[in-house]
Amino acid sequence: MPEVFRGRDDARAKASGAARYVGDVSLPGMLHVAVVRSLLPHARIAGIDTKLAEAADGVAGVFTAADVNPAPYGRSVRDIPILARGKVRFAGERIAAVVAESRRAAEAAAALVEVTYEDLPAVLSAEEAITPDAPAVHEEPWSYPRAAVRPGDGQNMQSRVVHGSPEAVEAALAASDHVIDGTYTTPSGHQGYLEPQACVAAVDGSRLRIWATNKSPYRLRSQLAECLGLDPASIEIQPGPLGGDFGGKGSPMDIPLCAELARLTGRPVKLVLRYTEDLTATNPRHPARIRIRAGCDAGGRLTAVEVRALLNGGAYAGFKPLANVSLHGVEECTLAYHVPALYLETVIAYTNTVPRGHMRSPGSPQSAFAIESALDELADLASLDRAEFRRRNLVRPGEPSVTGKVWAEARGAPTLDAAVEQARLSQAQAPPGWRRGTGVAVYAREAPGMAATSVRLIPVQGGRIRAEVPVPETGTGSHTVIRNLLAAGLGVSAADIDVVHVGTGDLPGDPGVGGSRVTVGMSEALDRAARAWRERGGPGEPVEIRSGPDAGGGAPPPAVSSYCAQVAQVAVDLVTGQVKVLEILSAVDVGRIVHPAGHQMQIDGGTVMGYGFACLEDLAEDDGQVTAANLGEFRLPVMADIPALRTVLVEGGQGVTSANVKPVGELTNVPVAAAIANAVADATGCRIRDLPVTAEKVYWALRDRAEAERRQK
Amino acid sequence: MPPADLIFSAPATLADALGELAGGEDVIAMGGGTSVGLLLKNDLLQPRKIVWLARIPELRRLAASTAGELALGATVTLRELARSAAAGRQFPALAYAAGRVGNPRVRAVATVGGALAHSDARQDLPPILYALQATVRIQGPQGAREVPVAEFHTGFMETVLAEDELVTQVVIPAVAGRRAAYARFTPGSHDDYPTVSAAASIVRDGDGRITSAVLALGGVGRTPLLVPAASGLAGTVPGPHEVQAVAAAAEAAAEPYDDQRGSARYKKAMAGEWAARVLRACLDPGAPPVPDLVAG
Amino acid sequence: MKLSFTLNGEEVEVAAETGALLVDLIRDLGLTGTKEACGVGVCGLCTVLVDDLPVSSCLYLAACVDGADVWTVEGLARREPGLIQAFAEHEGMQCGICTPGQVVAAAALARENPGATEAEIREHQAGNLCRCTGYQTIAASVEAYLAAR
Repeated sequence: MPEVFRGRDDARAKASGAARYVGDVSLPGMLHVAVVRSLLPHARIAGIDTKLAEAADGVAGVFTAADVNPAPYGRSVRDIPILARGKVRFAGERIAAVVAESRRAAEAAAALVEVTYEDLPAVLSAEEAITPDAPAVHEEPWSYPRAAVRPGDGQNMQSRVVHGSPEAVEAALAASDHVIDGTYTTPSGHQGYLEPQACVAAVDGSRLRIWATNKSPYRLRSQLAECLGLDPASIEIQPGPLGGDFGGKGSPMDIPLCAELARLTGRPVKLVLRYTEDLTATNPRHPARIRIRAGCDAGGRLTAVEVRALLNGGAYAGFKPLANVSLHGVEECTLAYHVPALYLETVIAYTNTVPRGHMRSPGSPQSAFAIESALDELADLASLDRAEFRRRNLVRPGEPSVTGKVWAEARGAPTLDAAVEQARLSQAQAPPGWRRGTGVAVYAREAPGMAATSVRLIPVQGGRIRAEVPVPETGTGSHTVIRNLLAAGLGVSAADIDVVHVGTGDLPGDPGVGGSRVTVGMSEALDRAARAWRERGGPGEPVEIRSGPDAGGGAPPPAVSSYCAQVAQVAVDLVTGQVKVLEILSAVDVGRIVHPAGHQMQIDGGTVMGYGFACLEDLAEDDGQVTAANLGEFRLPVMADIPALRTVLVEGGQGVTSANVKPVGELTNVPVAAAIANAVADATGCRIRDLPVTAEKVYWALRDRAEAERRQK
Repeated sequence: MPPADLIFSAPATLADALGELAGGEDVIAMGGGTSVGLLLKNDLLQPRKIVWLARIPELRRLAASTAGELALGATVTLRELARSAAAGRQFPALAYAAGRVGNPRVRAVATVGGALAHSDARQDLPPILYALQATVRIQGPQGAREVPVAEFHTGFMETVLAEDELVTQVVIPAVAGRRAAYARFTPGSHDDYPTVSAAASIVRDGDGRITSAVLALGGVGRTPLLVPAASGLAGTVPGPHEVQAVAAAAEAAAEPYDDQRGSARYKKAMAGEWAARVLRACLDPGAPPVPDLVAG
Repeated sequence: MKLSFTLNGEEVEVAAETGALLVDLIRDLGLTGTKEACGVGVCGLCTVLVDDLPVSSCLYLAACVDGADVWTVEGLARREPGLIQAFAEHEGMQCGICTPGQVVAAAALARENPGATEAEIREHQAGNLCRCTGYQTIAASVEAYLAAR
């Protein structure tokens, strides 16, 4: 790469308030939507009285299930109704929608809608949901299109995914010198994007225009087309930036409702959620209970790992995009290591709680907490240094990973070594009298494959190049990465390129943002576009490129992995249990870095999100109601909370495509919780197996241990 | 949301404000609006009229007398209190408490009188005002009265104020040799309410004997909690045993709730521990610093 | 009610309902840089300056700005190019949704404590959430802004 391109083109617009997001869109004649939501977790809807609401000031209409398309929608399983029909399955579910001249009028009228419920027994935990006599959240979950379960699969199942052989694991464990058996639990948590979910829908004749906080515009278009029975070509998803996503904005969410309301009223409609609605009624993270049994020989080499994960999927499965309706992060939780015998079972259950979805590295934060805590405990049983124990078990170059792929290179060892070595240089200071501790955790991730995507380069007067792309900028810095890759590929200054997100009518397609896909997925397309541009021999016609498996993109590249090793330094007040995380050092295995500032922000932002998961964030529920229903109760890390963040870039890695890039967005948020829990165990001798790690939990653990020691004497 | 047809009044004098408040229970006084604004937005308060006090000059005065007494007008903001040189010198624990409430936007407008009148046991200001034995001056149509701050709060969002009364001033006395401490135990997020808080003040005579000891806790009941057992230290030269006895009494008296910041059991235990810590901080100026505890 | 106040340096007269919140008033005037997210005064996206003080406009009655001097991010951007320059140069943003609030908060800090130390900057900006960046570039942007002033 000839030079490091500095800066980003959206900086001034964002800093000066000129950047416009969906919430800022205003159309002539636009109406505003307020949603009436269920107060109960499970109930039959006996009646909905809309008379008072319909008569209220400024109200254009009040709509229920009878008024809207009955087809359920979803990212894979189609089990989500646009408005609840007959019964509600979680507290917060959409029952009715009020459309009015102003948001205030809509909300005032929504309060006047009277819903009569017949309470049904609710099932709130995954453990209870999968017992045979648990109340059924859905009568026939196998009947939904793309359901991943069949009749007889078990009560309230969304999915069950297994890998490996339980018998082989059992035999290997029985022959092991040391075995750990630990169960680890993680709470629900919210993506915490600061832009509330929002949608504007406008129908012009047969054309449906949508502005939405959705990061996969082409998928959204297909989903809307299918759900509403429309021609996809008649749906135009408008371009625009998102105010953060973190996995929470990949589903149609409230967009089908808005599209229907626009049709029913004949006017554009706008829905902007109140943040309480985001916290209680969108698609937060799956809570998990994960049991790990792992064994090793006397030399600390793993013999077997068994992972049994039970996740709470909430009332609908349709917020998960994979065909197996599971979270691949759990399936890949041992990816960093060579495990001779492995058995993984992931069960996701329906419950009468808010439906769960994807959140930054879905399934990985939960399972990494479990596996990296368990490996620490196993290292202790084997009387081995915890980092050394890991080093002995990392995937070695040339060895196939748990997914069966042989990576182009396996850089676990240099990454772990860099972390451990640099951690020794820590200057973290503990408050007087507090006990220090250090903990390490490792995580590996495979880069996604080539995306089927498109890009168009257009010459603009003055020698500028307009690069039209099908992906929104959600806050990962992707547009700057695209700009810089193009600048390098074209041999021009980044300042001469304008990256523009265009609507779905203007480019053929893209699978959408997510899964750390954009840098990797687009780099092939950008590379080919740049070559095509240069080969034209000069300015002239636009260049449009489609790439990916369906566009003759060439042979699939070798599988690429990224490693991240983190070391946490903590200090613990042994009297109160308070844990101060003094420092988190992240060693990241990198290829070429295209946008250094953005890359570093993904590292730091990920680490801070991991810290929040580890220490602060608990989207608590009581009786099926989310009680942490605003950001005063569900606390995201603030600038004064965060530990010192240190980064070591382990350079020279082999990335994908000729750009040699590796994804970084879903890496550093994953191992943090285990690194911290491991550090707390180092400091106190107490193992916290339930997140978040709070002062109270450490306090009781210390007292329990002191009590146990007293009894032994 | 606030009622669209809300009546809004910004009187320029205390007499005008009192006159308006006499209009009935659906007339609410507002200081900075950090409590009232939130309640209005969530439809937990639906008044007919808001009387905004921020434009009344006599309520905004912060005055330090030569004797060291600090008189805070009811609408002195937390920001002003935190930045006050006089408060920083005379009552550093109080200035610290004011400077840690919420975030800069809260502190910029939230008022001392409004904070007291809101009456939430988790607030930072009341415990240290209790420990400093402040007096609350109140005015109503019947005239003026004074209430020791430790008698001001009667329950969650309940005080001794009648509907037509206002806090006009909070007066912190200057007591020679008094050393006070405030600690906000916030093991979660920095800006959150504390799990528990504790404030203490100690005065000693020339022989090191305690002549006054006051202890108050926050977040452990429906109101801030004065711990009368602290006065048992008077006349003693307290050692760890005496301090521990008061801490135990504090723990016994605490009746906290379960919430996101901790279980009732944990908060009760922490009440005892932090009572001991603020007492020790008052008794021993040379003690090593404790995070989120300021003494002076 | 009719409100007369100074908005971004200009005298304005605006008709509003008495119960209107300042954030809605501002956004209805087309100044959409000020956002609403949490609605409880925690996130800081709605930060504006009223008489040089930072305020959560989502909880502030519009009626209270009668006679006041109000600045939103748009006005501050025009008035203090160095503020925007600092955030642009240090890339103090990713998705940008929190950035106007961070910028206004920095402007408030400059008025309250122009010589703020790094710790004081972090304490002050702690009132403005960011979910994307990890906060380091925001702190660097504010530091640079204060240093250049």
